[in-house]
Amino acid sequence: MEEKEASQVLVHLEVDGKSVSLAEGSTILDAAKLLGVQIPTLCYTPLVEPYAACRLCSVEVEYPRGGGKVVTACNYQVWDGIKVRTDTDKIRRIRGMIVEMLLARCPDIQVLKDLAEEYGIEKVRLEKQEEGCILCGLCVRVCAELVGAHAISFAGRGLDRRVATPYDKSSDACIACGACALVCPTKIIHVEDQEGREIIHEELSLGPSKAITLPFMQAVPNIPYIDTEHCIHFQTGECGYCAKICDRDAIDYELQEETIEVDVGNIIMATGFELFDPSVMGQYGYGRLKNVVTSLEFEHLNCAAGPTGGRILMTDGGEPSSVGIIHCVGSRDENYYKYCSRVCCMYALKYAHLIKEKTDADVYSFYIDMRCFGKGYEEFYHRLLEEGVQFIRGRAAEITDYAIDSDEEGKLIVLCEDTLIGALRRIPLDMVVLCSAMKSNEDAKELSRIFSCSLGSDGFFIEKHPKLAPVSTTSDGVFIAGGCQGPKDIPDTVAQGAAAAAEVLSLIDRKEVEVEAAIAVVDEDRCSGCKLCNTLCPYLAVKYDEEKGVSVVNEALCKGCGTCAAGCPSNAISARHFENRQIFAEIEGLL
Amino acid sequence: MSVETNIRFQSPPELSAFRDRLSSERRDDINRITICAGTGCVAKGSIRVFEKFTEAIESRQLDATVELKISGCHGFCENGPLVVMKPAGILYMEVRERDVDDIVEKTVTTGEIIERLLYKDPVSGERARNEDEIPFYKKQMRVVLRNIGKIDPNNIDDYIAVGGYSSLAKVLSGLQPEEVISMIERSGLRGRGGGGFPTGRKWRSCRNAPGDIHYVVCNGDEGDPGAFMDRSLMEGDPHSILEGMIIGAYAIGAEDGFVYVRMEYPLAIERLLNAIRDAEVYGLLGGNILGSGFDFRIRINRGGGAFVCGESTALMASLEGRAGEPRAKYIHTVEKGLWDKPTNLNNVETWANVPPIIERGPEWFSSLGTDGSKGTKVFSLVGKVKNTGLVEVPMGITLREILFDIGGGVKGTKKFKAVQTGGPSGGCLVVDVEEKGKKGAFNLIDLPVDFDRLTEVGSMMGSGGMIVMDEDDCMVDVAKYFLSFLKEESCGKCVPCREGIRHMLTILDRITNGEGSAEDLQLLEELAETIAEASLCALGTQAPNPILSTLNYFRSEYEAHIFEGKCPAGVCKQLVTYSISADNCTGCTLCAKNCPAGCISGEPKELHTLDSSTCIKCGICYDVCNFDAVIRR
Ligand SMILES: Cc1cc2nc3c(=O)[nH]c(=O)nc-3n(C[C@H](O)[C@H](O)[C@H](O)COP(=O)(O)O)c2cc1C
Ligand code: SF4
Ligand code: FES
Repeated sequence: MEEKEASQVLVHLEVDGKSVSLAEGSTILDAAKLLGVQIPTLCYTPLVEPYAACRLCSVEVEYPRGGGKVVTACNYQVWDGIKVRTDTDKIRRIRGMIVEMLLARCPDIQVLKDLAEEYGIEKVRLEKQEEGCILCGLCVRVCAELVGAHAISFAGRGLDRRVATPYDKSSDACIACGACALVCPTKIIHVEDQEGREIIHEELSLGPSKAITLPFMQAVPNIPYIDTEHCIHFQTGECGYCAKICDRDAIDYELQEETIEVDVGNIIMATGFELFDPSVMGQYGYGRLKNVVTSLEFEHLNCAAGPTGGRILMTDGGEPSSVGIIHCVGSRDENYYKYCSRVCCMYALKYAHLIKEKTDADVYSFYIDMRCFGKGYEEFYHRLLEEGVQFIRGRAAEITDYAIDSDEEGKLIVLCEDTLIGALRRIPLDMVVLCSAMKSNEDAKELSRIFSCSLGSDGFFIEKHPKLAPVSTTSDGVFIAGGCQGPKDIPDTVAQGAAAAAEVLSLIDRKEVEVEAAIAVVDEDRCSGCKLCNTLCPYLAVKYDEEKGVSVVNEALCKGCGTCAAGCPSNAISARHFENRQIFAEIEGLL
Repeated sequence: MSVETNIRFQSPPELSAFRDRLSSERRDDINRITICAGTGCVAKGSIRVFEKFTEAIESRQLDATVELKISGCHGFCENGPLVVMKPAGILYMEVRERDVDDIVEKTVTTGEIIERLLYKDPVSGERARNEDEIPFYKKQMRVVLRNIGKIDPNNIDDYIAVGGYSSLAKVLSGLQPEEVISMIERSGLRGRGGGGFPTGRKWRSCRNAPGDIHYVVCNGDEGDPGAFMDRSLMEGDPHSILEGMIIGAYAIGAEDGFVYVRMEYPLAIERLLNAIRDAEVYGLLGGNILGSGFDFRIRINRGGGAFVCGESTALMASLEGRAGEPRAKYIHTVEKGLWDKPTNLNNVETWANVPPIIERGPEWFSSLGTDGSKGTKVFSLVGKVKNTGLVEVPMGITLREILFDIGGGVKGTKKFKAVQTGGPSGGCLVVDVEEKGKKGAFNLIDLPVDFDRLTEVGSMMGSGGMIVMDEDDCMVDVAKYFLSFLKEESCGKCVPCREGIRHMLTILDRITNGEGSAEDLQLLEELAETIAEASLCALGTQAPNPILSTLNYFRSEYEAHIFEGKCPAGVCKQLVTYSISADNCTGCTLCAKNCPAGCISGEPKELHTLDSSTCIKCGICYDVCNFDAVIRR
């Protein structure tokens, strides 16, 4: 692109009496933009080749040799000496008539209504239709030219023209990128997931996010990544739009994942946790019922930088008038996780407060026990009681959309036993937030093997000593912090992180490590290289040395437990200071 | 077929030697019977007539002295099947199988002329023996159609014998491409496809457009309803089109050419394919043409038959295998056409004009016609004239000459009212024979027909359709007819054309149903402006023509529909009522017998009555009454 600019020829023209010069090959629309002259467009986007089908961008051109013509600004290439007029009576008449025609076709489309106002069309005199699509072809062209998917196209000629998928069937060619919906000026394209759940928000909020995005907000380093599974370029080879517009040339589609080896003396494991997927709990209908969301999804909705700008909206774009919050979804549950996830009660209270603050909705909180253990927490609970949040003590049994009376029509109904009044209740709601359990990571077992630190029965890492060594593990130099050690809230996580860092620092500061005096040693002359000890060592301290053809003990890791010595078939390993000879001498001494 | 496969001309002289040989071998002592195999005559049974002739000649063992062949359309389709007897030049019309034996026995053997098969002048009743005596042919000037009816389109030797490919030989005997272009420029030839763009200028721009590959394309889409000029040419003289294209390709520097023909023209496709094959065998097409080192190949593409595919950019999209939709032409197709390469597109008739220009010189060509429009133009003359068919006339001929001298005047008892030219998006022009001069600019009977004059008066040349209308034609209805055609044919890409034509049609429907209002006329004019100014291609920009021209010349008819609730021509069903005149009715019962709704009653020989509440306004009674007793208002 830049090279082109260097060799560009400039042409000079006038737009509405103002002179402007720009590169050959530019359009009148480019010239107008440069001058800040407004020209309305409906079928234009800089992303793909101009198509000039709506004709709304019509302008008058006067040729330098006299004469002139009405042309479309979006694709008419400028040349020396032309005079363009964008706002003559004739142009206003033409644009007005085009808007009137389109409005007659699609009476409910907002962009057209806005244009009608701009062009002073009070009444549509033409026969009306009930269409939504203005056939600007943006979706078709973006899908073909930019995305390269070719999943939709025009079908039919003349008045039968419409946008369709191949043979009107749902097609594998569609990669669900949502580009068509994004570019549609009438906003009549909706993206639905396979269960038919409409994904409403521009950015496909509750589903996948954009394929190039920051990993999460405030990520360090704050650099976007490309989700290759969803990136159009990685699927069709087309698009490449991000590379085109990145003036730092920072986008490289060829980059490969790589494994980097770093030698370190200490490791802090802060691998976090996972959220329990409540769709396995059929009774709550998550994934099946609209407007049943997890706590994480609710956070996304609630986030000021999120898809709805922080507004709490339902999938149809409306505000809920009643919201339920169900605690202990998967936690404290014999069938899933017996433990308490610790944080849900407090964030549920926060949600209740925010919903009250942002909407007029009634809020119902379904809890088993209210665990407000920290400083100021109980006070917050009391404040919410005063704010009028309905707290219902009892585990929610089911969420259903099966209405039994008119009040329940179109609502989500939560069935529960209110143990405080001893009654079964049905509560109709617009939206339900599920406070899912925190659970250990899928790969925690794998990690525990690699770092030789144990896992508890709940799947979280076990600390060396619950009171005296809360961030250490049984492997020296390996520490744990945060959710991987057990459910905890942010202050606790931060405290643990700081503690682990302090432990590491104290080790680093010492510059040397104390190793156990009694460790195993291999008699290299006797070792047959059978590697049995490698698998026996619980601390992974024995490694096979390919060069020497014998096993060797890593002195920093060895705890002197003696397992290897006992297991060695050729008696090649002995525990230092605990050799048979020494022990016998000791026994002798004692006797 | 008849092509001699061992011949391949290595140089222009070899070709002319071959031509000389053909003419020396040509025997003058035999009878040549040519049977027209144009579409009109074929429909009327000319193939069966041809077979019958073959039989009759064989059974009489006349094979040695009679040569039988078919030809393309003679233009006078109305009177087909046509049979021409040479050397006497006798033209027989409406020849049936049963006439064949008669012809063979009399004309072939004894030279006797069969009176009943000759053309009979509808006015004087006199018989005409050959074409030159028939008024339909007398005023015509056959340049493009020069060979049609004379040669067998499937026989390349026939074409060569009448001088075919001599222009190509002339070009390849030393004319530089520049010189060829300059000849076409000096001839003043303008495109016959509708736009009337100067052909030489187009060739020059295409030649000068940068790029290694250039294409030439022949537009044989011919989508105008009722038009068949290009079809007749492709079917009747395919080689003249090929020759024109080869010369054009040489001038422009193209090695590949395409003919885009609609699928509905299978005969044209077949004959073109034959012609291409034969020309390739003779070395007139393909590699190293006439030993000159110049290569050029032609392929045929079949179009689906959409009107819009005749538009240059849509045609090229269609040729490339994409949907036939136009694109903006701000960058011309001579610079970026087929596959984005410089492409020169010309109409069938334009190409067929090239060989005569080269042969007889640009000065000869530019001596024909008017200042701005040179040469001749082929029209398909249809409607309310006595003689309908294909006619070729010099540019500048007046409508009066076409209507009366060639067309033979009005058919039926009514007066001429209008002539529609230019195809579906052309306009309707007032012709009023009697009030000559009185109506001033409004009476166009003496309008010289050429590109510029037709445009000036709000119509256009188009590809040469000419529909003649009389007082029984309602102008609002006519506009509606053309607009409904355009509505069906709009590709639907751009808003003004797709939406606008539909709305104009709705309004016309309203008017012809007697529900129109004064605002409707205003709205029509507003719509027309936007459609004409802002549509993407010429289908759209010209679509308002039928309405604008009728509004201009026949506004009072619109007003009669709107304000008086009347259709002056009695065409618009909702606005006419039928009744029976007590003065004229003889009680013949004919109307009652024919009425499909059974709403006419009356005893024989007594006055009949018509129940207008059950009348379906089909007009049958009006048509069948022999005593002008049915009144239509
Ligand atoms: C809607 C539309 C239909 C057309 N149909 C034809 C056609 O059937 N045949 C044709 O030769 N030209 C047709 N044309 C004109 C062509 O676009 C083009 O001008 C012509 O083929 C150029 O050849 P010429 O310069 O020899 O006339 C049509 C134009 C329009 C706008
Ligand atoms: S003017 Fe009509 S035919 Fe031409 S591009 Fe527009 S919609 Fe298609
Ligand atoms: S924006 Fe130019 S035609 Fe639609």
